[in-house]
Parts: sequence; structure tokens; C-alpha cells
Amino acid sequence: MTLPSPLTPEQVYRRCPIDQLDFETTDSLEDLELPCGQERMLRALEFGASMKADGFNLFVLGPAGAGKHELVERFLANYTERQPVPSDWCHVHNFEFPDRPRALRLAAGEGRQFKKDMNDLAAELRTAIPATFESEEYQARLQELQEEMTKRQHQGLFEIQKEANANNIAMITTPAGFTFAPMRNGEVVDPEDYKKFSDEEKALVESKIEELQKKLQQTIQQFPRLGKEARERIHALNEEMVQLTLGGPIGELREKWRHNPAVVDYLDAIREDVVEHAEAFQDGENGPPSGLLARYKVNLLVDNAETTGAPVIYEDLPNHQHLAGQIEHRARQGTLYTDFTLIKGGSVHRANGGYLIIDAGRILGQPMAWESLKRILFSGEIRIESLERLYGLASTISLQPEPIPVSVKVVLLGDRMLYYLLAHYDPDFLDLFKVEADFEDDLNRDDDSYGLYARMIATMARQLKCRPLSREAVARLIEQASRLAADQRKLTAHDRALRDLISEADHWADRAGIVAIEADHMQQAIDEREFRASRIRDRSREQITRGIVMIATEGETVGQVNGLSVLRLGASMFGQPTRITATARPGKAQVVDIEREAKLGGPIHSKAVMILSRFLASQYAGDGELSLSASLAFEQSYGGVEGDSASVAETCVLLSAISRLPLRQSIAVTGSMNQHGEVQAVGGVNEKIEGFFDTCREAGKVHGQGVILPASNVEHLMLNQAVRKAITDGDFSIYPVSQINQAIEILTGMEAGEPDENGEFPEASFNRVVANRLSRFAEVSKKPEDGEGGSDSSGGADRD
Amino acid sequence: MTAVEAQIVTNTQEPEDQAATRGRVLVLIDGSRMSYAALEAAADIAGKRGADILGVFVEELNLVRSAGYGFSREVGSASGISRPFDPGILEQRMRRLADHARAALAGAVKRRGGKAALSVARGHVIEEVLALAGPDDLLVLGRAGWSSTAGARLGSTAQGLIRQSPGQVLLWCEQKLPYPNRVVVFLNDHDGANHRAALTAAEISRHYHQPVTIILGTDGEPTASRLDAIRQDLDVLGAGTRLRVMPDTDPITVARTLREERASRLVISRECALFTAPGAEQLLAALSLPITITP
Repeated sequence: MTLPSPLTPEQVYRRCPIDQLDFETTDSLEDLELPCGQERMLRALEFGASMKADGFNLFVLGPAGAGKHELVERFLANYTERQPVPSDWCHVHNFEFPDRPRALRLAAGEGRQFKKDMNDLAAELRTAIPATFESEEYQARLQELQEEMTKRQHQGLFEIQKEANANNIAMITTPAGFTFAPMRNGEVVDPEDYKKFSDEEKALVESKIEELQKKLQQTIQQFPRLGKEARERIHALNEEMVQLTLGGPIGELREKWRHNPAVVDYLDAIREDVVEHAEAFQDGENGPPSGLLARYKVNLLVDNAETTGAPVIYEDLPNHQHLAGQIEHRARQGTLYTDFTLIKGGSVHRANGGYLIIDAGRILGQPMAWESLKRILFSGEIRIESLERLYGLASTISLQPEPIPVSVKVVLLGDRMLYYLLAHYDPDFLDLFKVEADFEDDLNRDDDSYGLYARMIATMARQLKCRPLSREAVARLIEQASRLAADQRKLTAHDRALRDLISEADHWADRAGIVAIEADHMQQAIDEREFRASRIRDRSREQITRGIVMIATEGETVGQVNGLSVLRLGASMFGQPTRITATARPGKAQVVDIEREAKLGGPIHSKAVMILSRFLASQYAGDGELSLSASLAFEQSYGGVEGDSASVAETCVLLSAISRLPLRQSIAVTGSMNQHGEVQAVGGVNEKIEGFFDTCREAGKVHGQGVILPASNVEHLMLNQAVRKAITDGDFSIYPVSQINQAIEILTGMEAGEPDENGEFPEASFNRVVANRLSRFAEVSKKPEDGEGGSDSSGGADRD
Repeated sequence: MTAVEAQIVTNTQEPEDQAATRGRVLVLIDGSRMSYAALEAAADIAGKRGADILGVFVEELNLVRSAGYGFSREVGSASGISRPFDPGILEQRMRRLADHARAALAGAVKRRGGKAALSVARGHVIEEVLALAGPDDLLVLGRAGWSSTAGARLGSTAQGLIRQSPGQVLLWCEQKLPYPNRVVVFLNDHDGANHRAALTAAEISRHYHQPVTIILGTDGEPTASRLDAIRQDLDVLGAGTRLRVMPDTDPITVARTLREERASRLVISRECALFTAPGAEQLLAALSLPITITP
């Protein structure tokens, strides 16, 4: 087998071709309106924004800091410019059912006019109606009416008095009513004189008085009816006068608003209401009660007078009230009261006819907000209800404003996990959010993309009000973007990471007093970021340097190899070597994964160990029996171990333990392996290599060390300057391997050996030694007396 | 039958007005709401004039007699219910009303100052009042007493006293007008009466800070000498006085003119032709404003 050549410096780092950047500084580059490389997402946005059918709301997926919000807002601002401005909405008093304020729809900009018209009308009513009641005409008619009614009352009494007088009987007024007494010469007869009357006369007088009393009773009992009739006639007069007064102003308004039948209906309702409350307007001194006129106000809920195109609203606190609106209360002397003027619209009202952008994580964190939003989208109308009512906590009478029909496109922003969780757990979600706009994490890095990417960087720098970047600084940033994407053929699309780097580089350029950001400042920004995040990494390295954590970077040892692991802490990650050891002895065919036994190993790691044990069996035992009791451990690992990126290293160390052949400690290994011994790609290769390089450097001189990594990982390499220099100097090597045998050969310096047609490995090959040791194990296992008690064959034992 | 009670309130404040010597203010109290309003008005005037005030409470003889019959019943003016009516009930009621009148009088005088007395008499109201009132006295009374509850706008007592009283009569009536008002004085072709009316109007105008409108009722063009006499009176009436000549003095026209002038008070002489016109009493009944009738 031919051994792979170590990688050249060009292979481990893809430079940005400076000639592709055709500018001096980014000042000469035009702004990029929409980001490059996000065609899928932009097409989804375009589709979602223009799709009219129900349920085609958008969910924009992407990692935090990808610039979703800014991009969506910019896109929609452009898109909605050409769309019609939606209607204004207002709430007005409902004269029929006062607790259910009516909603009126008006053309955009008419709301303000309507509000002003109604205020003017109220002001006119305040003066015009009392003036009508003070008018000569009204007063005269009122007086005529009153006089007529008084006369009718008086007439009855007068006739009784006349009848009494004709019969010589006086009708006397008492403080409480009337009484009758016999009269002579206009004076009441003295009771003493009356006694002298004959019995006949007395009987006549008394019967007449009784008759008169009855008549008087009947007459007086008519009075309430007459009074009621009088009141009714006065009310009718009031109504007539108010109708005439209102005719002018209401007629003008009806004419003005005749294009809107709902407004005309409302004006008619006002006229009826004023007529009904005519008496309340009669007080010329204080004017009509303010509560009465307040009902003619207009609560302009949505005012689109100054909106251009369809509205795009971002709700940064998407709770129930802010979305669906609320009914506020005013406290007066310890009592809360409300009316339709205290109805406040929510962001859905404002976004009606346009777009509403909401952060998915935030809306899910607000009680009932998600449910409310779904209800609005399902029903197509906004019903303003307070949270306490929704929860059934309040039973007081409140307003139930007429629901407002709504046509809004909701754009949710969130990370992918949230989208998939919602899609899985909320059965309504996919009905309502049918358009998924998925942000690309990375862009392709090719000759076409350099120019666009540079313009994107220029746009960001201008938006951030930073200095322009020199060509070299842009090149350095592009290289760093590849490193962030961990791929030589990709560039990161992560908005925040790039913006932060530009801002920081600008800061360092500012400190240096230079007008443009140079490559040095960009490098300084990268280094400073790394330094700030390096405390844990440095502590970890220090432990290795001081020998507390044992890592050998020189010499050869049996059953021991350097694996590589990656730790992610916050936004930064770093790699470091880990010692992996193995033991082997005869026994039942099993490889004990100590990490798993100690419950420190994850399922993927366990799977990788199972794969390697099956690889051992098929590779070396052939048709025979495999007798092996082996163990694998990550030394001095106290956290969990997960992933399969150590399976190449584990295979090698296990074979070393079985064969008792030592492995080079100067080579660290990463890579996963399948059952056929093929090496597969793993993640975090840059950090792993740099981590081992730093460990070697801190342990002494870097000379002859290296890393074995899967050949398919080569294009992910974007290694730092120090590693590249060591490679150039020949002090550090990186070996790309595609077969486990290649790794074995690099680590042992021996030929691995391919089996012949009988499954036999060549003499003096590594695999032959392994196969022989395993057949020895099998023989030992067959002897019952030896059994399980055989000697352990860990590192340091005799070699075959 | 008249018994004038002792002075019930004395205010130590010396009356400032010279008119103190001109006579008393008599106010007729029958216990009705309107009569208490008249009492307040009378006390107000007495306070301004520095005059003494004499309340007159008359127990109407006809009423007393009518209670003396065994078969007497009283029909309630509001309910129409008929109840037995006997002297015991009436006496008790009269006493209570007199007590109330006394207290009201004392209260009114206490607020405004001056001297007050209450005369309690039994007899016919008009006779009793005429017996007490002199030509210098101002007689104040409500437009209608108890009968107002039954719809009467001008009671029979008021009618009698307007015609027979030797001095000025103020026919009181409560009113609330929302605008600044004027005192309207109605003049006719009797110069002496005109002068008296103008003086009274001037006094009211001064007391209430209201301008005066003179309405001159005449059949034809007023003569130059009459206008001169009136202009002399205008000087008395002060600035802001308005003169209107009204050829037609039928009650309806007068009522309209009064509304146009926003009259708060009317001053009219007993000698005025308006009183003799048919329907004059209805006019007085229809006008809901205090009317001062001068000799």
C-alpha cells in the first residue's frame, strides 16, 4: 500500500486570490441590496409575500445572528412599495348595543377626516341645539303648549267652581287641596248659622257638595294623564326642533360620506340619538353633558394616512395585548371604567393589509400570544378580548368591540429547531405557516462569488458606519469566512459574525489612526477574539504541559495513541489531544467500551466501538473463532465522550494492544471508520489539528509531529498561520488517509499487509502479527484450565 | 283681628340707604312655596332699602268656617283623594304654618339684616292686608298661593291686591334665565304714573345692575313734550337705557316684546292702559317674571 503524502501548505489553506478583488477599498463598491447566495430563501420570501391564499404565512428559518430580521424587513420594504395602502379602521359608539362598539372601514387617510368631521359635529351640536331651544320660535311654541295644558287643567276646576257658585257653594283652596262649604253673599256661611237651615236645605246642600266632591275627584285624577300628554307633546316638539337643527350639518355629512354606506348609517344613528336625548341639550348654560357628546367621537384605531404601500410592522414584544389590541380602563375615584374610545389597536390591526414580522421564540414565550395569533389567522378577524377574560378570571361587564376582518401576512423568524418542533408538536402550525424560507448557513466560494461577497462586506461596513476595508482586509475576511464555514469551498453567511469582525477591525484601525481597515487590523480582530475566549483552552493546555494531563508527543508506546477532541464553549471552540488506551487478552469476543460502561459514552461513540469490534472480527478472525476480551478508555476524561471521530484512533490502539506493537506518539489521529476499514470524514478538523500543534509546541520543539485525518476532510482545512509555517518548514505533517491500513502504517512504520486469497496476511506485516496473536488467544481459550485466567496483554508486554 | 307680634330680629347695622324712611316691606306668607320665595325677595329688597319687613300671615276666615261643618271633606289637589276635614286638623295646620313662616322670616332677615315682625290675623286676606298696608309700603306676594298647585297662574288674592293696594305691589315669581337681562318699564299716557314707574325701575336697575328698557305704548306718534318728560326720566334711569315705542299694546305683542328684550322684571303702573285692555290678566298670568305694579 502506498502511503499518502503529507499535505502541502497550499492544501491546508485556501487563499483568497487577490486579483479577483478589483478595487482599492470597499468605498468604490456598490451596495448589495439583497445578500448573495440566499436565492432559495429569497424565492421563498417572494412567493410567500405574493401568495394570496390563506395559510401561506412565512417562517424564516436560520441561526440566531444570521440577519433574518433585517433581511426580511428590507425585502418587504421593497416589495410592499408597489402594493395598495390598506383601509383605515375606527371604532364608534353603537347606539343600539352600547357594549358592542361598531367598527367602520374607511379608505386610507379618510379616518382622520372622519374623526375631524365628527368632532366638528359634536362642537356644533353643543351650541346649535341649545340655541334652537332658546329660540323665539321654540319658546313661543313651548309656551303655547304649556298654556294649553294648563288651561285644560284649569278649565276642569273652573267649571266645578262655577257649578258650585251657581249652587251657592264655595270652593275653598286649602294648603293640601280643596274643600266645599255653603256660601251666602260670597262668604262661607258660619257653621252656627248653618244649623238654622231647614233639614231640606241641608240635605240639598250636602248632596250637592258630595256630588261636587266626586266631580272634583274625577277631575283631579285626570291631571296625571294630562301631565303625561303634555310631556309627550313637549317631547315631540323637542324632537321636531332637533330634527330641523340637525338637518343641515348631518345632511352635509351624509352627502360628503355617501360613498360609504356604513358611515351614512352611523350618521343616521347619531341623528336618532340626538333626537332621543333632545332634552339633555336644553341646558344652555352648561351645555349638554360631556358624556353624551363623547359618544359621537371617533376612535381612530388604524390610521394609514401617512402609510406608503402595504404596511410592514415588526412587533418586538409580541404579547397578547400588543398583537390583538386591548381595552384600557381609566381610574376615577377608585372605580375603573371604559368606553369605546379606550379601545387600543394591536400590531395586527396596524399590519392589516400588509405584513407582520414576529420573532417566533418571543411569541411562544408570551402567555396566550401564540394561541391568539393562530385564532386571528384562522378566523380572519381580530376580536379584542382581555387576557383575564380569556382565562375566565374577570366577570365584570366590559366592551365587546365588533371584530375587524383582517388580512395579514405573518412572517415568523426563528431558528430551525423551533420550526421543526412546531411542525412536529403543533398540528395547526403547518396549516398556517406553509412557506418555509430557509436561510443558507454557507455560500459557495468560487470565482463568481468573490465580487459579490466583497460588495456584501462593503454594504455591511457602510451600514455599520465603519471605515472602508482595503482589498487585503477583504481578502483576509473572505479567508476567515471560509474558516468560519470550516470549508475551503464555502463562505459563512452568518451575518453577525462578519459584522462583529468588521466592527472590531474598525476599532483597531481607529486605535491605529488609519483611515481604512487593513488586513492587519482584520487579523488583530480575529486574534483578539480568539484570545478573549481562550482562558479555558489555556488552562487545559497548561495541565498538559505540566504533566497533570498525560499526553506524549514523542516516542512509541504499545496500546496508547493520541486522539483528538473538540470542545465548544459559547461562540468559540478549540481542539485538544486525548490519550486513548487499550488492553487485550483472550476471552469471549467482546470489546469493552469503558466509557460506555461508566455511562460516560454517548450512543454514537458506542456504535463506533461496535463497528470496530465487528471490523476486527471480520478482518482477523476470518472463519475462525475470535477470542478477545479488550477494553478501550479515554484517559483522564471526566466529562462525556460522544461522536465517532475517534474510531480510527481506537482501532489503531486496540490493534497495537493485541499485537503488542508500539505506536508513534508524535502522530495524533482523528477520523471515523466503517466496518470495512474505510476512513470517513469528521468535524472540527481545523481546531483539532491546531490544538495538537499547540500542545506539541508547548511541550517543546515541534519537529516531526503530525496528524492523521480522513482524506475527505482535506477540503475543510483552513489552518492558521503557525501551523502552515511548520508544514512549510517540514516540522509538522498532516496525513490524509482513506483506509485504516494507511493509518496503521504511519503510526507503526510497518507494512500493514493485505490478505491473500486464503485470508493470510503477508509475513512480517502488522496485520499478520495481529492475526497470529488472535489465533493464540483462540487456542488459549479452548483450554478449559486456562480459561479466563490468562495473563493480560496490555502495553509493555513481550512482542511476538 | 290683627295681632302684630313683637319685633323678632334686630340687626344692629345702621341702614345706609336714605330710602329707609320710605316705608316698610310687607310680605304675604301663606306657607306655599311661592310665598316663601316672595319672602326671600322681600327680605332682599328690605335689606337693600334698609326698610323694616312685616310678614303677614292671614288665617282665611272662609277656610276656617268651611272646616266647621260635620260633613266637610278635603279633596287632595294632587291625588284627588277625599278625606275628612275638621277644625282640629285645620287649627293644627295653621299653627304649624305660622310657626314655619316665623322661622323663615327670622332666617331671611338674619341673613340680610333689618328688622322684621310677623302679623298673624284671622279674616279675609285682602281686607287684612289693606288694613296693614300704607301708601309708602311695598307689598310683596307670590303670584298664586296654594291654588298654584292646581294650575292657577294668578291667584284671586293677587288679583284683588294688585287693584286695591294703596302702594307698590311686587308680584313675585321665581325664574331662571340663562342670559343677561333687562328691567322693562312699561309707560303709558299718564305722566305722574309714568314718573313713579320710572323711579321704581331706576331703583330696581340700581339694585340688580340691570339696564332698563322703556316701552312706550301709544296709539300714534308720541308728542314732543311727552318725549321730553321721558328723556328726563331717562337721565334718572342711567346709561344703557333703551326706548321702544309700541303702537300696538295688545297682550300678545307685549308678551313678545318682553321676550325680545329678555326682560327679567316688568314695572308697570296701575294706571296703565294695559290693565284696562281685555286679556290683561291673562297677560299677567302668562308672564313668568316678577312684576312691580306702581300706583
